[in-house]
Amino acid sequence: MKMKKKKKKKLSILLSAIMLISLILSGCSGQNSSGSAADSNGKVTLKFWSFWGSETRRPVIEKMIDDYNKSQDKVVVKHTFVPWGDIWTKNLAAVAAGNPADVVVTDINDVSHRAKNNQSTDLSKYFDDNMKDRFYPHLWDTVLYDGKPYAAPFNTDTRLLYYNKKAFKEAGLDPNKPPQTWKELEEYAKKLDVKKGSSYERIGFYPLWGGYGAPSWMRNADEGKNFFDGDKLSINTPAKAEALTWLADWKKRYGKKTIEKWDAEFANGQTNPFVAEKVAMYTDTGTFYTQIRDSGKELDFGVAPIPAYKEGARNWSDGGGFVLEVPKGSKHPKEAAEFIKYLTDVKAQKYWAVKNYDNVANKEAAESVAEGMKGQEKMVYSESLKNLKDTQLAPIPINYPDFMSRINPQIDAVMLGKSDAKAALKKAEADVKKIKRK
Amino acid sequence: MQQQGARENILHGIDSGTETISGKPVSLTKTKTAEKHITLAVNKTAGKPVSKLNRFKSKSFRENLIGYGFISPWLIGFFLLTAGPLLFSLVVSFSDYNITSEMTFTGLDNYKKMFTADDLFWTSLWNTVYFVLFSVPMTTAGAIFIAVLLNSKIKGMKIFRTIYYLPAVLSGVAVYFLWMQLLSPGTGLVNLVLSWVGIEGPAWLFDPNWTKPALIFMKLWSVGGGMLLYLASLQGVSTTLYEAADLDGANIFQKFFHITLPMITPIIFFDIITSTIGAFQIFQEAYVMSKDGDGGPAHSLLFYNLHMWNNAFEVFDMGYASAMAWVLFIIIMILTIFNLKFGKRWVHYEGGDNK
Repeated sequence: MKMKKKKKKKLSILLSAIMLISLILSGCSGQNSSGSAADSNGKVTLKFWSFWGSETRRPVIEKMIDDYNKSQDKVVVKHTFVPWGDIWTKNLAAVAAGNPADVVVTDINDVSHRAKNNQSTDLSKYFDDNMKDRFYPHLWDTVLYDGKPYAAPFNTDTRLLYYNKKAFKEAGLDPNKPPQTWKELEEYAKKLDVKKGSSYERIGFYPLWGGYGAPSWMRNADEGKNFFDGDKLSINTPAKAEALTWLADWKKRYGKKTIEKWDAEFANGQTNPFVAEKVAMYTDTGTFYTQIRDSGKELDFGVAPIPAYKEGARNWSDGGGFVLEVPKGSKHPKEAAEFIKYLTDVKAQKYWAVKNYDNVANKEAAESVAEGMKGQEKMVYSESLKNLKDTQLAPIPINYPDFMSRINPQIDAVMLGKSDAKAALKKAEADVKKIKRK
Repeated sequence: MQQQGARENILHGIDSGTETISGKPVSLTKTKTAEKHITLAVNKTAGKPVSKLNRFKSKSFRENLIGYGFISPWLIGFFLLTAGPLLFSLVVSFSDYNITSEMTFTGLDNYKKMFTADDLFWTSLWNTVYFVLFSVPMTTAGAIFIAVLLNSKIKGMKIFRTIYYLPAVLSGVAVYFLWMQLLSPGTGLVNLVLSWVGIEGPAWLFDPNWTKPALIFMKLWSVGGGMLLYLASLQGVSTTLYEAADLDGANIFQKFFHITLPMITPIIFFDIITSTIGAFQIFQEAYVMSKDGDGGPAHSLLFYNLHMWNNAFEVFDMGYASAMAWVLFIIIMILTIFNLKFGKRWVHYEGGDNK
């Protein structure tokens, strides 16, 4: 009896020891298994992370990867879908843990932040001098940090003015003459409004609906100058204050109630006010066309550049985009850079552009895509290409990573009628100054 | 010591006279354990004292080890996942840690920035305090009110209890989306109902003056969770007290304020402390219900935790975010200590010595 008891006790100690060890081991196993460089065939496995997991995008990117894997016998690319929003934090955590992906898709506007913070790899030794020639210059400039590329642009976008031609005809406007200036925009909008009693059936235009926000309008007014002029702040400028007042006046004209009501109605994004023909003019990216196309409505519409602040001024527009980066700590930066070269080359970029109706970073690919299109599809795409020459990005300055959090409440205050534009922008500039990073 | 304790138990068991029937078997088992202790103690003093003591020691050591083995999952969890990060965040709060490239000691810079340079810190603190000040008393009062109603004895009460508890079962992001639709100024049900009585409802989540009241309103809808606690404690209030009050001719309000409320003060106290802590940590609601999670119009929904989250995971200023977390910890700690001290004055523990 006693012996048995002792044995039992030993067993239980052993068991708990095993449990302990297995717990500790399972904590480490993640690192052990994924450190291996090459698989059994001697091929290098590249880990590629993207947030393109939707029904439309996933097959496209996976076909591109498949083509690449078949085209050579040194590298196998493995695609992992990481949801939008998670991908930035996951990438950062993986970099910190020393076990990142080899290529990752990220935002173009904060490339320099990751470069500075040692989160991405300097690709200058893998890219040759003519690499930059394939891209639109405004995109290439944004991936440089200290004059060296830390990423390669993949796709981009640009804001356009969509207008409902049917509504134009109803209002007695020429459907082939979209508004050119802010003043015309106002005049057209007034004509396009349809009011029944005290409520609106159709709103001609409201500048803050769509893809072109208050900062964009302010930039449009200020000769395309963003909130930063190099290292100098240019938040509180006369043109920006005028633009902000102009925006507030739109809200006044339609009434706070109307705007709030419509805001809430379209907040969930299930229905789009332009597609539903509730709004006659609307700003959005070129890709917005697919939403109109897929709505099943035969919407008669046109696209135009964003109206200019004054006659003779440029039709400034804003854009964004995504880049391909090699996270710091990737085991195969050379192979990763090769893969990036493939993804940004004409063939792959053209495939992406056609299948996703997206603006791509490769100039040659982008221009050749439009040739194969027709009808509305071609009209929107060529207009978006033309628009790229007036399109600017909004890179986030290194010293002010969260500057918008100080400007936004001031814009809100003006829109709510609680502050006038000049005072608000003055406050915004002072607030941003306070949070400068050393 | 153990012997004495056991003996006292035996004595107590026998002496507690009236309940002899139940008392007896208890006292019997107690004697058995006491005997065991005695024999153990005898063993200890007799024979070879040193080696025996060693054996005893090693055995207890082994037993301890097994014990630790069994609780090791929790211990490992605690040290690796709680205590470790906790201490790490304290260290980090004195640095400019950004996960990858920086970890320089910056002294009190983060704390200085918080109180002098970062205006949003004050905005977020004010928003949070506003929310706590209104939501905690209102949800507590609401929960008690509903609990009292649901404590009355009428037919079908179980159905009512289920209905009122349902919102507490439904939770998370889905509910927030539901409320966003309910609170919609144009087509929302809330404003529709208000319009029936001639009130033109506000724009709720779009008007900075109404965003926080909207959230508090939403919180009131789900007081069912707290209600359940109160209901349980209300059922525990002895009917003899009410009978005595009836004899004295007390009316319903007197009974409520002089019997019911004092009797459930321990639960009120518990509820206030936990819901204050919970309310200070409000995050999801603002993150989900404001556009892009930026804190709503004019930062009216920028709560403390949301601001902290933005610092940590939007601009990756982990040092500053950790410092914010510690300041919140201190604020909550002070409030809880204050509550505990002040609680003695109004919390009534039946049969306790107010410890």
